[in-house]
Amino acid sequence: MELDNTRHELVIIGAGPAALSAAIYTSREDIQTLLFEKGAIGGLAAVTDRVDNYPGFAEGVAGLELSDAMQKQAERFGSKIELGEVLSLKKDGNLISLDTTSGKLQAKAVLVATGSEYRKIGVPGEMEYYARGVHYCATCDGAFYRDKRLVVVGGGNSAVQEGMFLTRFASHIDMLVRSELKASDVLIKELEKHKDKITVHLGVTTDEIVGQDNKVTKVIGTDTKSGKKVEFQTDGVFVFVGLDPNTKFLDGSGVELDERRLIKSDTRLMTNVPGVFVAGDVRSGATLQIASAAGEGATAALMIREYLEHHEKMSTATVATLYGD
Amino acid sequence: MAKDITIFTTNTCSYCVMVKRFLDMKGKTYQVVNLDDNPERQAEALELSGALTVPITVVTKQDDSKEVVVGYNLAKLAPAVA
Repeated sequence: MELDNTRHELVIIGAGPAALSAAIYTSREDIQTLLFEKGAIGGLAAVTDRVDNYPGFAEGVAGLELSDAMQKQAERFGSKIELGEVLSLKKDGNLISLDTTSGKLQAKAVLVATGSEYRKIGVPGEMEYYARGVHYCATCDGAFYRDKRLVVVGGGNSAVQEGMFLTRFASHIDMLVRSELKASDVLIKELEKHKDKITVHLGVTTDEIVGQDNKVTKVIGTDTKSGKKVEFQTDGVFVFVGLDPNTKFLDGSGVELDERRLIKSDTRLMTNVPGVFVAGDVRSGATLQIASAAGEGATAALMIREYLEHHEKMSTATVATLYGD
Repeated sequence: MAKDITIFTTNTCSYCVMVKRFLDMKGKTYQVVNLDDNPERQAEALELSGALTVPITVVTKQDDSKEVVVGYNLAKLAPAVA
């Protein structure tokens, strides 16, 4: 799609649960809605094997299936999804200008719902063996480890859930947890059922990923109680140590971020830049759940509708007064 | 212009679905090698890409040269199949 110099009512950056939920609401109310997605439609939810806590699915639902359904629902009401990247944005009078891989465009309102990506550990060997033994997506790369030994790094919900998914393939998994398991009680109980295949090592850091002949062979860590070095022979490493927000493109935009580079917002989910709203995992204070992201998307949509009504009726100066430029 | 496009995929890979959707959107035809159904072809995927990951998209050009795109990387995939 060639978008140069086109003007839109609403541009949503991202196409995860928050973005798609907002798009369902806005496009259903005839607000012209264009979404930009540089990765997978559905975001991290789409690459999650199974979602058990999203309302309405008694037996759980595959992440991809849930994302597909949200996408179809948004598109049914007229939302357009552009596979491309927003490179930067800035306030331009009463509008917001965006520089994208599909050209330059303007919008009356923007919703940032870019979510997060899996954090790197930052240890020697991690980048050297990236995608050749070090991975961040179990549903993508787990199949390469049939009957092989694996190390999973992390102790949160993602690490536990993805670790259990990997038991479909791996002969054995060593799960290295820096401190304590921080996954939900439900997931920890579920993990117990996999103890024949998953050994959890609490209080073990991951210090180095070592390989030979272009293959990962072991992980070196430290037992934080004894201070001694420990080694785990492995064929591959899957890393799930938290999330980093996708906010790099906002550098220079004037949108205020917190110390973790999450986007600050007011009670209307609007940032300090009038007309730029935020929802989902990328928002400072978000609870990092698919259900809450979808809820925030709906809330943002209602706030955006209200903002656009003012935008239509009032002058630039009045909008600036009302919304604090 | 591509003479042939082959995507190496697995059953659970969401990014593989995204590559297929992108190619469908661009009206490109392609072949799919599902590594869950054809695990014996994993070595071929590794040799072509140097990576133990999917999706791997192999674009064969008119002069039979090959361009390999690892992952769902639109910045590389779009020009490769243009």
